[in-house]
Amino acid sequence: MSVVERPATRHAAPPPARPTAKKRKSDKTPWLLAIPALVLLAGLLGYPLIRMVILSFQNMRLRELFSGRTPPWVGFDNYTRVLSDGVFWAVTGRTVAFTIVSVLISVLLGLAIALLMRRVTRGVRLFMVVAMMFVWALPQLVAAQIFRWMTDSDFGVVNYLLDKIPGVDYANHSWFVNPWQGWAVITTLVVWAGIPFLAITLNAGLTQVPKELLEAATMDGATPWQSLRNIILPILKPLVTIVTTLSVIWNFGLFTQAWVLRDGHPEPSFQTLTTYSYTQAFGQSRYSLGSAIAVITVILMLGVMVFYIRQMFKIGEVE
Amino acid sequence: MTNLTSSPGTEALPVVKETKSAGRKPEAKREVKAFTGLAHIALFAWALVTAGPLIWVLLASFKSNTEIFLGKPFALPEHFSLDTYFDAWGEAHIGRYFLNSVIVVLISTAGTMLFGSMAAYVLARYKFFGNRFIYYLFVSGLAFPTFMALAPLFYILKNMGLLGTYTGLVLVYIAYSLPFTVFFLAAFFKTLPYEIEEAATVDGASHTRKFFQIMMPMAKSGLVSITIFNIVGQWNQYLLPVVIMTGPGAESKYLLTQGIANISTSAGYHAEWSTLFAALTLSILPMIVVYAIFQRQIQAGLTAGAVK
Repeated sequence: MSVVERPATRHAAPPPARPTAKKRKSDKTPWLLAIPALVLLAGLLGYPLIRMVILSFQNMRLRELFSGRTPPWVGFDNYTRVLSDGVFWAVTGRTVAFTIVSVLISVLLGLAIALLMRRVTRGVRLFMVVAMMFVWALPQLVAAQIFRWMTDSDFGVVNYLLDKIPGVDYANHSWFVNPWQGWAVITTLVVWAGIPFLAITLNAGLTQVPKELLEAATMDGATPWQSLRNIILPILKPLVTIVTTLSVIWNFGLFTQAWVLRDGHPEPSFQTLTTYSYTQAFGQSRYSLGSAIAVITVILMLGVMVFYIRQMFKIGEVE
Repeated sequence: MTNLTSSPGTEALPVVKETKSAGRKPEAKREVKAFTGLAHIALFAWALVTAGPLIWVLLASFKSNTEIFLGKPFALPEHFSLDTYFDAWGEAHIGRYFLNSVIVVLISTAGTMLFGSMAAYVLARYKFFGNRFIYYLFVSGLAFPTFMALAPLFYILKNMGLLGTYTGLVLVYIAYSLPFTVFFLAAFFKTLPYEIEEAATVDGASHTRKFFQIMMPMAKSGLVSITIFNIVGQWNQYLLPVVIMTGPGAESKYLLTQGIANISTSAGYHAEWSTLFAALTLSILPMIVVYAIFQRQIQAGLTAGAVK
């Protein structure tokens, strides 16, 4: 892989944007280094996405899948069908509401825990980090299984503990009869599993807040709240933007948790856009309809998130 | 972990020169003492909530089936035995699924780190035509939820004959992990000093050599953070293996998450639930190993700001 070398003194940098940066554009090695990643990304992420968009304009059923024939083109039929379906809008509303609530709670709690972690001794902090690492490392599926068992109507720990409270009868209480309670369980699970990443990341970000700044503020009589609002949060803002954006993307794509807690057959009131698209495509073999739902989902999400995602792009380009 | 996150923020901060400025000031400590007590209590309560479910699972994994249904969830098991674990490992084939998962995650994490860091290095350090465009392509991959591509992915792998193979699964894992990896590593590489690299160029090091022998060691902490993130993420995958590992004879190639799902779905109330709990506990074990291996880096990263 050795390439003929050109001395550094020769860097005739085209636009003098950054004097320290090297610009050697005549060389092919940089490209070679990026190619494996590009090929994989294009083949397994890019191409499927394009296929999916194409698929959403066709009518692919089991027959076409097995025979390999090109499915008939149906134009925007799938889209009109999805968009005029009341069920779809109900599912969308539910997904959006869940995303907002769960992200708000997780980010606020994660930030609170990260801030608290700055206040405790090193040993305690380390203990916290280890505990959180375990939760973070728990596969979603496993976490969901655990919660399914904890909320089991006959043998669940939650009912057992609630029943201990005098005057409360929660024996054999089923948590998923009432959608609100069911969603409370799902939200708790998602928040519980999501906080470690947020807290660990934000705590690491907090270590970057200059201590002199906080001390100076305290000297000048700033309340903790004022220091938080005027010093810590502005410094933490890029990081908060990133983790919030990621949380929205992740929670909007909620699948495993709802799927497992409802035993692989989510009732209509527990469907999210992801499970809905999946059941349409794979459960009902309506691949094209499922694709159309997925495309609409992503367009909806990108539409709402465009500002934050642009923000995230900018932050990523540390110049 | 600091590095994972500090890099995007560096824009706003004088991080580089900040290393020894955080000396301990006793007066600042005193003021927050009352609050610190509260903080400890709050954190303790929260730690209980965090660890509670895990402790419950650990206890249940040592109990027999009848004991689980006795209605005393936090009682200690009557006698400790590893029988449930042997059942899970052998009879429920968790042992095989476990090894399958380990192999797949090892290969795909290694691949992700190799390809991801190479791409990130190029995108962060070289100016060439299309650089921005490619970078945005990578990062927009971050914005797409996994499920979006499931149906066509299934179709593509089927056409390529990769459905139900580890090759297919590993390639898909790598592709799905790349956007995040490249996003963070590119930001990280940008913060590294340029002088050493320039010196190496003067001394006649090739691009490849500069990357492997100079940039990689310098970026170690960032690489470790992202490696952990990828191991965790790929170990956790459930949806992708469910879609990809299908077809005749796929059952012996199942991954751990699939095996766990299998125990719980194929079983009713009469089945060996204790086996499920043992399997759940087993699934956390590798993460303990990973943590033990990277412990020093993680601690160093996490406590850097406070201790220095």
